[in-house]
Amino acid sequence: MLVFRSEDHVARWLAGRSGGATIPITKLAELAEAWWWDRLDPDWQPHSREQNQAILDRLGLTGDFWRLG
Amino acid sequence: MTPQDIEIRNATYRLFVELGRAPTVAEVAAAVGEGSEAVGDAWRRLHDAHALVLDGEGRLRMVNPFSAVETPHRVEAAGRTWYANCGWDAFGIGVVLRTDSTVQTTCADCGEAIEIAVRDDRPTTDDAVFHVLVPAREWWTDIGYT
Repeated sequence: MLVFRSEDHVARWLAGRSGGATIPITKLAELAEAWWWDRLDPDWQPHSREQNQAILDRLGLTGDFWRLG
Repeated sequence: MTPQDIEIRNATYRLFVELGRAPTVAEVAAAVGEGSEAVGDAWRRLHDAHALVLDGEGRLRMVNPFSAVETPHRVEAAGRTWYANCGWDAFGIGVVLRTDSTVQTTCADCGEAIEIAVRDDRPTTDDAVFHVLVPAREWWTDIGYT
């Protein structure tokens, strides 16, 4: 899970390997907010896979690549 | 994961932020009024449940989004320097601390420094992208690689 200057840099880094998914840094920030927001809550409870999948779905991160299981 | 495991997990996270580093087993044991063995056992169950990550010696390696060791993903937030496990986690540190942050990392291709200020949970630039190489169902197969 890496940061690159641009999609051109991702392509160069992959060097012909099949890549995964590239998203804008703004989408990553949305994902981080939704994924991590409760980690320091004193009443934190573990997320279920369904809850985590719902976060990805809500952000439009759908398709087989983004299926958690 | 038992209710006591969750109590120990929450104390571990709280201490990480208070200390600015990974707490030891003894420090968490003192905080929750348990023995070190009970905390070590709970950490192993939490590791198995993907609630944190231990190294081969049973010490904290990842208290996600925080890294217990220095990484190329550095975050300035709340008056401290933190380390994240990956680009995703780097943007999570300001979120969990409920504060603005500055993410300092490098382009994985060219090595050029990338610095992104995050204000009100939003990056102040869109001049970068994030690549996830491993499909979601395999993220925990090798979390270090992921």
